[in-house]
Amino acid sequence: MSATSELHNLGQGGARAKRQNKTAFLFLLPWFLGLFVITIGPMLASLILSFTDYNLLQPAEFNGLENFSRMLGDERLHQSLGVTFTYVFVSVPVQLGLALGLAIVLDRGVRGLAFYRSMFYLPSLLGASVAIAVLWRMVFGADGLFNDGLALFGIEGRGWISEPETALGTLITLNVWTFGSPMVIFLAGLRQIPRMYYEAASVDGASRWRQFLSVTLPLLTPIIFFNLVLQIIHAFQSFTQAFIVSGGTGGPADSTLFYTLYLYQRGFGNFDMGYASALAWLLLLIVGAFTAINFWASKYWVFYND
Amino acid sequence: MQRRLIFKGLGASAVALPGLAACGTGGGGDVELSDEPVTIRMTWWGADTRAELTDQAIAAFQKEHPNITVKGEFKDWAGYWDALATTTAANDSPDVIQMDELYLASYGDRGTLLDLADTSDFLDTSGFEAATLETGKIDGTQYAIPIGAGMLASVVNADLFAQYGVELPDDTTWTWDDYAAIANELTEKSGGVINGTGLTGGTDAGSIRYWARLHGNELYGENGDVTLDPAVLAALWEYSLALIESGGAETAAETVEGQSAGLEGSSIATGKIAMTIAYNTQITPLLAASGADLRLIQLPGAVETTANFIKPSMYWAVSSQSEHPAEAATLIDFLVNHEAAADILGTERGIPANPAMREHVATDLDEGEQLAVDYLESATVGPAVVVTPNGGSGFDPTCQRYSQEVLFGERTPQDAAEAFIEELKTEIDAAA
Repeated sequence: MSATSELHNLGQGGARAKRQNKTAFLFLLPWFLGLFVITIGPMLASLILSFTDYNLLQPAEFNGLENFSRMLGDERLHQSLGVTFTYVFVSVPVQLGLALGLAIVLDRGVRGLAFYRSMFYLPSLLGASVAIAVLWRMVFGADGLFNDGLALFGIEGRGWISEPETALGTLITLNVWTFGSPMVIFLAGLRQIPRMYYEAASVDGASRWRQFLSVTLPLLTPIIFFNLVLQIIHAFQSFTQAFIVSGGTGGPADSTLFYTLYLYQRGFGNFDMGYASALAWLLLLIVGAFTAINFWASKYWVFYND
Repeated sequence: MQRRLIFKGLGASAVALPGLAACGTGGGGDVELSDEPVTIRMTWWGADTRAELTDQAIAAFQKEHPNITVKGEFKDWAGYWDALATTTAANDSPDVIQMDELYLASYGDRGTLLDLADTSDFLDTSGFEAATLETGKIDGTQYAIPIGAGMLASVVNADLFAQYGVELPDDTTWTWDDYAAIANELTEKSGGVINGTGLTGGTDAGSIRYWARLHGNELYGENGDVTLDPAVLAALWEYSLALIESGGAETAAETVEGQSAGLEGSSIATGKIAMTIAYNTQITPLLAASGADLRLIQLPGAVETTANFIKPSMYWAVSSQSEHPAEAATLIDFLVNHEAAADILGTERGIPANPAMREHVATDLDEGEQLAVDYLESATVGPAVVVTPNGGSGFDPTCQRYSQEVLFGERTPQDAAEAFIEELKTEIDAAA
């Protein structure tokens, strides 16, 4: 829209507002297209498919709630839920704890902050990539770097990713290692806390620990909440790491069978797209429920300083 | 190539089917070569050797057909089937597809492969024996052309046998007990540096089929029912467990790592074990990767019963979604019927199923190919196998999962075997 048309619009009241809306929608069109074509369209399709028997290669047939009742007796689904919940509830708290701790250390004004910040942030950019998953497989393989390191201390290693007891642990470690992005958000949050609170606290003789508990932590709760919600959603949807590290099987013996991986296997491995769609919707409900609980609980511990 | 948006996938299959029906009844009247330059896509699974050879064959084909450009895509085995299912569902499948016996019925039954009778003007099958062509038919329709055949064999690393002073096995007499004894001896004499053998089966359809046939059992009946006896499978797993226990075989963890390492990274290729079981045609990449004196010998127990079988493993098929079936068929014709292609491809995809090509390549074989051909000629073959029924394509991954539970001691062999067979039956019933 040019300046002249803006002028022209001046003083035309409702018509002008309408026209401006039109312009806005026009500019938003690419985004709307993306939303409908890439997100909402497939979601609706999968909602419909979740009530069908659909093998990908032939037309879908409606089968009512059969896919959902089948979930009750599906042992592999239950296994994948167990694996995913363990992954989410172990890796997210550890990751956020580490991120917060390092953010506080860096916030103290370490020399070369920009360098450290970048270094710690780097894994977040790479963590979900195929390359890192491949690297992980090499590092934690029986002949891998990690065992070489242990050998220096005379500890005999094991096949960390090829044994059921430890395979999930390596993936949790991988997720924890990507603490950089919540850390950067924490750092920004820490910078938002007015220095005068600390000055006032130290005048009152509060120790550093006391200051952390009574000033930093309460004022940081909105940021912690934000990171918590984001990372939980993110962790529920993890796929790449487990897919690459286990070669798509979720093995050994289903010990890394993430929910999304099982969904993928049903859909594309077993031509069972109807059931896979139903699984996708169950995941949406689970993630939605956890997010709702998070928001509800936030009333009791998140402090908004406004 | 007209690409359709993925979100249309729901409707895509419904759109594709009427088109298919037309193909089936119309008899290929509209299948003809284009006057315009055409690009077709071809996809296969396999190791690096295969990719190099196939690229050369494609180049030779393009020289003869300057109008046709072929884009090759290749993946490893596991990723291949995921990608094929996804692209097929999106109505974007490659034109020429390398097909496996495991999946032939799954795709053929569901109308995603072209009836090759429609392209008979371009793809000549007259050189093939009827029995060979039969292995590419589902309910009488020729959906695929067999490329070649493979056979299970024992692979031994003669260098490692020599290094540790163990005598090479006598494959005219050896049994599974002998195999275990030799494996243990190898581990012992190497002082644990290597293991005698990797897992000798129980994680894939081929090895289980051989074991079952040794015990008078079979995976599937003539009508596609699962006939595998849980007790037979449990015995195979017990054998594996005993061999791991005694040190003759690699540990469960090493086995799992090997399973995801690909052929070039497998323990036999890296010299961590001295014996394993593989298809005879895998010897070429194994030789290239290991650089050792690998030999193919008869499987243990082969003297007692003729249990081994020709695996009609690989096929070429044309996607029913192809917009250029004539060109696709022309390419397949070149690959299976022309000496120029046979010269390049050799036996890498198996000993050629086309007798004329088999004879042609026999005159000029490299070391690995010679080993593979010699093995095929020396082995005794039992009855032909029943093609994997629709829904049975998940045999290997499912079996691998249960076998891992057994190897890591989470389930007893008998219990796991029963659960596995139950699950396999459910999948096959669900697909029918």
